[in-house]
Amino acid sequence: MNELEKIKSENDKLKEIDENKSELISISAHQLRTSLSALKWTLKMILDKELGEINEEQKNYIEKAISSNDRSIVLVNYLLTFNHSDDLSYVSKLKEINIVSVFEKVSADFIAELKNKQIELIFNKKEENIPNINCDEPMIMMVLQNLIENAIKYSPNKSRITISINYNSDNNNIELSFHDEGIGIKKEDQIKIFNKFFRAPNAIEKETIGSGLGLFITKNIVEKHNGKIWFESLPESGTTFFVTLPIH
Amino acid sequence: MKKVLIIEDDSFLQGLEATKIIKSGFSVIAAQTGEEAMSKILEPGINIIILDLLLPNFDGFDILKKIRETETTKNIPVIVFSNLSEEKDIKKASDLGATEIMVKSNFSLEELIGHMNKILA
Repeated sequence: MNELEKIKSENDKLKEIDENKSELISISAHQLRTSLSALKWTLKMILDKELGEINEEQKNYIEKAISSNDRSIVLVNYLLTFNHSDDLSYVSKLKEINIVSVFEKVSADFIAELKNKQIELIFNKKEENIPNINCDEPMIMMVLQNLIENAIKYSPNKSRITISINYNSDNNNIELSFHDEGIGIKKEDQIKIFNKFFRAPNAIEKETIGSGLGLFITKNIVEKHNGKIWFESLPESGTTFFVTLPIH
Repeated sequence: MKKVLIIEDDSFLQGLEATKIIKSGFSVIAAQTGEEAMSKILEPGINIIILDLLLPNFDGFDILKKIRETETTKNIPVIVFSNLSEEKDIKKASDLGATEIMVKSNFSLEELIGHMNKILA
């Protein structure tokens, strides 16, 4: 076998492995979706008291379970979209949403974490009437969840997180920023921060558990909505993530 | 009372869909396999069909094709309610004549019923 044939044969092998991997992800994701659908519908029936009365505490738990399940559904959708660029999970559910209401819903899930670390969450909104955006709501919720979660995770106790949402009428964009007073991103890590599976050494030191997929997924979702994401960071003094999302 | 045929192989999901649809004022018949579905689609009086695509024996595409080729069923609205979402599957279902295509895990049962009511209005 000459060199060219060897390369071709290795290439064919790699292609086959890649196809098998894609098929495995696809089958697993579809199986997961079945279980997640069952959970989604059952929890909703319990919440709507179709299976009997529930008390306030049970209602709170069910609402949290629904939110957590929805997050898993978004992850599976993301996995499929990422695995097959022709997957249409994303376009199947575009709808008009109010970003401020979505932010309020998402931030309510972090009350306990904020309280534990005695972090003050400051919310700024310059414009009174922020126009709705057309987007996949669960995916945008995941963007907000990831950015708020990171800000809390990498912030010291008794610090502040400032989140701003504004409408820029000049370019018809919604502009969001997430500022923390946390560990920051070192200069040498900044270029890799949106890479999949990358976790900065100072982030691992602070928080051992993490997939290294959060910012990678966040960036992909923002770009799928024709938006942009970037950051400014100073080690040991904090990071600000900026996100813009077009109205149309 | 409008009659709905649910074609869904997962018995738990089928049960949830049926419970909710019956509560919304429809009557329901159901099929769990492709073979069973092929005979159930011929039952008289069906107003709308909820069709899963991944089924044992014949798949949902075969069933949709059969529905559209059969004189007595060709005009029955069919909502493809499946967890397949790749472009090729969506296109195939659409080319075969699906009235609507919904990714199961992305929708609540209330939303499914909302779409059914809209189609039947």
